[in-house]
Amino acid sequence: MGLLDSQEGKKRLLTVELPAIEKYNATREPAYRIRVVRYADGLLLRYRLRPAHNDYDLETRLYSNYPVTPPETVVLTPLEPCPHLLSGQTLCLWRTGSLSATSRWDPAKHTCVFAVQAAWRWLACYEVWYVTRQWPLPEAR
Amino acid sequence: MAHVIQVGAGSGGMVVLDLLAHDPRIHKLTLIEPDVFKPHNAERHYFPATCAGRLKVQLAAQWLHERRADLLVETLPWDILDPQIQADLAERVAEADLGVCAVDNEAAKFCFDSLMRRQRKPWTLGEVLSGGIGGFVHRFVPDGPCYGCVASYLQRSVEAEKPRTDYADPAGAQAALRIPANKAAIFAIASWHALLTLQLLDPSADRCSTTLLVALQKVDGIFDEAPRVHRFCVPRLETCLLCGPPSQSEMPARADDLDRALHEALSRLEHPG
Repeated sequence: MGLLDSQEGKKRLLTVELPAIEKYNATREPAYRIRVVRYADGLLLRYRLRPAHNDYDLETRLYSNYPVTPPETVVLTPLEPCPHLLSGQTLCLWRTGSLSATSRWDPAKHTCVFAVQAAWRWLACYEVWYVTRQWPLPEAR
Repeated sequence: MAHVIQVGAGSGGMVVLDLLAHDPRIHKLTLIEPDVFKPHNAERHYFPATCAGRLKVQLAAQWLHERRADLLVETLPWDILDPQIQADLAERVAEADLGVCAVDNEAAKFCFDSLMRRQRKPWTLGEVLSGGIGGFVHRFVPDGPCYGCVASYLQRSVEAEKPRTDYADPAGAQAALRIPANKAAIFAIASWHALLTLQLLDPSADRCSTTLLVALQKVDGIFDEAPRVHRFCVPRLETCLLCGPPSQSEMPARADDLDRALHEALSRLEHPG
């Protein structure tokens, strides 16, 4: 079941995840492309996002039992403590099997690029919150 | 004669196990469960609090032996998510005729689904809804929808209470915030689970993928009447990233070629320019 040590995990990477990253990179400036490095038994995606006025460096971790376990995204650029930000600047995004539609990770439909897009959306909310002190997505819990 | 491999011997899993073991068509049971029986388990389990501290697989094996001495029982106190045991687990699944999943964590369900699909074995899964208002029982067959298709389709929209995220423990289970099911509800869903599993042994029975939604309590906005059983077939998700057809043209057939292709793709993405 391991991402890098099982046939199924390798096939998922070769046919789903890595092509999705290459497609994402193809339309972006080099500074905003996703870099992929091995990380323990999984993979680490390193990338920069610019949701509005500022650049943020991020890491998305795909653990060994990804995609069953959702990816975990950490913002490396220092942020101000805010809602939906966990310890270690980990984004509070989703969990497998969540009952809430907005926080459900669906391994049958989502790829790691979806996690990058979710991080972009989270950072856009952060920039709004930074100015207004109101999180702009009321359904986020 | 059939060999069943079951993962999970909690309060529901033990009921399924007991009902299956009473069927003479089953000659062997392989049971996987890493947990130790705890005093609080006694409230919904077959075993008393005095059994606390013993492995659940040991208690289950003793229970089965006292009721069917001729049944072969293999007990494996393994965590099916442990990467170290995956090869052994795949061997056990290959030897079995059908599988039973009675665990309540999503990762283990996906893992079991993957194992069963790879070996093309039919399997069943039971899920009790929060509060014991009802439950799902699913039957999976080779080439049918996978657990990912079913979970994605159902979206688990039935809920008794909206859980809140624990910011101090984001990865922690939310079970404490869910309303526990009572023993009768657990036994009812487990009995349906056993029935659907035993149908897999009947050559004249319908062997398609099936989902049963069993309403046990009337709940406004969720179940208009109860008890009631709804049966439906969840279609295979055409674009499922777990069981959908891989693009064969891009997939190397040999393991060495697969490793080389993966290495090349990762090297390319390590320095995407």
